[in-house]
Amino acid sequence: MMEHPLIDLVNISKTFDDTMVLDDLNLAVKENTFVTLLGPSGCGKTTTLRIIGGFEKPDTGKVIFDGQDITNLPPNKRQLNTVFQKYALFTHMSIAENIAFGLKIKNKPKSYIDDKIKYALKLVNLDGFENRSVASLSGGQQQRIAIARAIVNEPRVLLLDEPLGALDLKLRQDMQYELIRLKNELGITFIYVTHDQEEALTMSDTIVVMNQGYIQQMGTPEQIYNEPENAFVADFIGESNIVPGTMIRDELVEIFGAKFACVDKGFGNNRPVDVVIRPEDIDLVEPEQGTLTGVCTHLIFKGVHYEMEVTTPDGFEWLVHSTDMCPVGKKVGIHVDPFDIQIMNKPESEDEEAVGVNE
Amino acid sequence: MNDSKLKRFFQDFYLVFVLIFLYAPILTMMVLSFNTSKSRTDWGGFTLDWYAQMFESSSIMDALYNTLLIAFISALAATILGTVAAIGISSMKKTPRNIAMGINNIPMLNSEIVTGISLMLAFLAFGISLGFKTILLSHITFCVPYVILSVMPKLKQTSRYTYEAAMDLGAGPVEAFFRVVLPDIMPGVLSGFLLAFTMSLDDFIITHFTRGAGINTLSTLIYSEVRRGIKPSMYALSTVIFVTVLALLLITNFSSEKQGKSRGLPLTEAEKAKRRHVENVRKGLLVTASFFVVAAVSFTTYRHFASPASNELYVYNWGEYIDESVIQDFEAETGIHVVYDLFETNEEMYPVIEAGGVAYDVVCPSDYMIQKMVENDLLAEIDFDNIPNIDQIDPEYMERSKAFDPENKYSVPYTWGTVGILYNDKRLEELGVEPPDSWMDLWDPRLSGEILMQDSVRDAFMCALKPLGYSLNSTDPGELEEAKELLIQQKPLVQAYVIDQVRDKMLGEEAAVGVIYSGEMLYLQELAEGKDFHLEYVIPEEGTNLWIDSWVIPKNARNKENAEKWIDFLCRPDIAKRNFEYITYATPNRGAFELLDPELQQNKAVFPDWDSLQDAEVYQYLGDEVDSLYNELWKEVKSN
Repeated sequence: MMEHPLIDLVNISKTFDDTMVLDDLNLAVKENTFVTLLGPSGCGKTTTLRIIGGFEKPDTGKVIFDGQDITNLPPNKRQLNTVFQKYALFTHMSIAENIAFGLKIKNKPKSYIDDKIKYALKLVNLDGFENRSVASLSGGQQQRIAIARAIVNEPRVLLLDEPLGALDLKLRQDMQYELIRLKNELGITFIYVTHDQEEALTMSDTIVVMNQGYIQQMGTPEQIYNEPENAFVADFIGESNIVPGTMIRDELVEIFGAKFACVDKGFGNNRPVDVVIRPEDIDLVEPEQGTLTGVCTHLIFKGVHYEMEVTTPDGFEWLVHSTDMCPVGKKVGIHVDPFDIQIMNKPESEDEEAVGVNE
Repeated sequence: MNDSKLKRFFQDFYLVFVLIFLYAPILTMMVLSFNTSKSRTDWGGFTLDWYAQMFESSSIMDALYNTLLIAFISALAATILGTVAAIGISSMKKTPRNIAMGINNIPMLNSEIVTGISLMLAFLAFGISLGFKTILLSHITFCVPYVILSVMPKLKQTSRYTYEAAMDLGAGPVEAFFRVVLPDIMPGVLSGFLLAFTMSLDDFIITHFTRGAGINTLSTLIYSEVRRGIKPSMYALSTVIFVTVLALLLITNFSSEKQGKSRGLPLTEAEKAKRRHVENVRKGLLVTASFFVVAAVSFTTYRHFASPASNELYVYNWGEYIDESVIQDFEAETGIHVVYDLFETNEEMYPVIEAGGVAYDVVCPSDYMIQKMVENDLLAEIDFDNIPNIDQIDPEYMERSKAFDPENKYSVPYTWGTVGILYNDKRLEELGVEPPDSWMDLWDPRLSGEILMQDSVRDAFMCALKPLGYSLNSTDPGELEEAKELLIQQKPLVQAYVIDQVRDKMLGEEAAVGVIYSGEMLYLQELAEGKDFHLEYVIPEEGTNLWIDSWVIPKNARNKENAEKWIDFLCRPDIAKRNFEYITYATPNRGAFELLDPELQQNKAVFPDWDSLQDAEVYQYLGDEVDSLYNELWKEVKSN
């Protein structure tokens, strides 16, 4: 898939207290990309990051960095730096001392260090903060310092462990743009861990969706969002209606007895499948124009759009996002455009629901 | 408006009240430390003599030095051990961590006396002789949990990510610890150090059990003083300690406040320079402190290991029971190094000798205790050929000593005295009561509320057994029962059962009569001089207790010849006279007696006629069973 991966995780497994956290994971990261590990808590994303950073050792498998096996190298010998979830700034040092920490350890000359501090502070838009104390900074400012402290060491990879988790919504959005800008200016690889799908979609070149120690799907944000490969991904990325259906033939699927045109092929004839339809892709029309009809049973104003639930006679509650309001109790028709319908194979067992696609 | 004024008044009043409650005792002590008079009730004018005495006293200075050195080294060692342990514990998983913390907390909740005894037993069991190093080890032991307890919360606060961040930035594990983790938990480490330092300074019980010969800390020294009442130089010492601690506290608070203010704001160049200066001072202090520690440790080690073991003498004596310059003279004359140690009661001394943890060469117990030690085969026979000055001891006392040392083989009398009644002549006149001459005068209803009795079993029973015509060594349950009834009968008349306070209360004219040891007399009469009343001492006609404190040599003594030299030296008339003048307890030394002023020789309170002592008896050891019978009956009297 990738020709020259900078980081290559090969058959990594990790167990904590008899709990399998990572199970035979393989992941290749290309140079100069923004890769996000996305998944719910406990999915193994942070462990993966810590294995790359050198803070955990895998039970089996290898970590290859630029063609070299670094599995047993301690963190201080690796050419990468980490921005920690809680920033982990050194509170007994000034901002300048924090940023200079890594350079002083490497015995860089003072003038070099001073230049680097200035440069890094400018880069994170905090010029003149050299002599401030950590305690006097806001959360967002502390986060920028943590980033500045990491990047002055000129790492080839920057690891970020839910760095925006502690910030409020507005700041989080600002920082997302900030990070994209930084990545472009520095031209280095970012590996970013988050459980926030919006963050992942906004910033990443590549998203790796993880669950229960497996990679569920890997791809561009568009691929992940529009073409989820299984119900977990579909459910985790944004909201969606996942309904059972039958593939009558190519490009025609039957849902609750109604036939919908779609664009998917190759599932065979009369095969049971899962159908994913995003709430914003459902058009509410006059009952007679709809492929299915139902009654609006729930209505909430969300600002940008209305959130509605339409219950069809079979009892399924469709989640619908629309800028048009449909009052509760009104009978409506449901219409979906063919390219908005995403067909997925039904998992054959409970287990398979979580099984990765990397096989 | 009036209302709020009243409210404010009560607020102020309450605050002042609380402050007085907290600080009045300390103030009292501070005032007394400047009091010319030794009395605790009289103000005799301002003086700094006690402070001078404190700095001159080698025992106080030694104890102070030991206390500080032990506190510093043990706090330092406990801080290092505790911090490392805390880091280990904090990185454990939850269950083992909880178990480890539980184990850590037990010693702190454990009663100190249990810790002290078990440490002592452990040292003895492993053949470690008690001394400076055992105190040090014990203090480190009990300080470690406190350090762990004060470092743990800091570690919990510190995110483990800072350590990882330092590693991430290129620091090795050791560098990461010293540059990032340690500064982060420093407040906890420092407060742990201070806590350990204070705990060590404060400790009495554990030190008491684990110390060896010749080693005193301030707490054990002060405790030794209790027997004859605390010397005012101790008030001076306590005042100095209090003021020092107060000053340290103020400095710490003041500097941390300043630091807090400058926090978070950009520093000016001047402030930065100042900070750098403070940093330099701190580093300087640290270097000085480490130098002090190294010097002190090597000096102490030298003192403990380099002293020639062959020419030592371990002396175990009551507190305040010798003129200290006599010890120096003895050392100068004989070249023997004296390790001098104190005990407070016979009962405390006995188990120390019995356990043999410290091999004392010469001890000064009282009569009945000598008997017990002889019976339990703890004493060595004295070679009287080595004590030519034994001739100076009045044969009368050797005769009396036979009550507890039948063949005069084991003991040489040092001091002696009687128990009698002290009365205030003016007070008795006011009450219309004649001066007492019998124990039964303590049962005179006209003296209701004016009587002070000794709060000790044997002395109290002596006061009742003697007038009943029984021996004060009676073991007959019937006789004792009678004595008990008599004491209960007397109880409504008694103002208080006390030990030391007899002196103060009599001086303060709080009571008319009191039972007292004759040894206190000279000192009391001196204090009462110039007052409008006299304190007189009588030995009741029924007879009394004649007590003798004598030097003995324990069987396990390692320097028996030196011990004999010591006894001989103390029997020299000039030396005995100096000791008498210091202790003021009667001396059995004929030569010394002859050197005294005729006026003093005539003082019947100190040197009563032998005629009046015809019915006086020496306490004997009555055996454990009778002892407990006495105690039970005494309990009945007190609880009646």
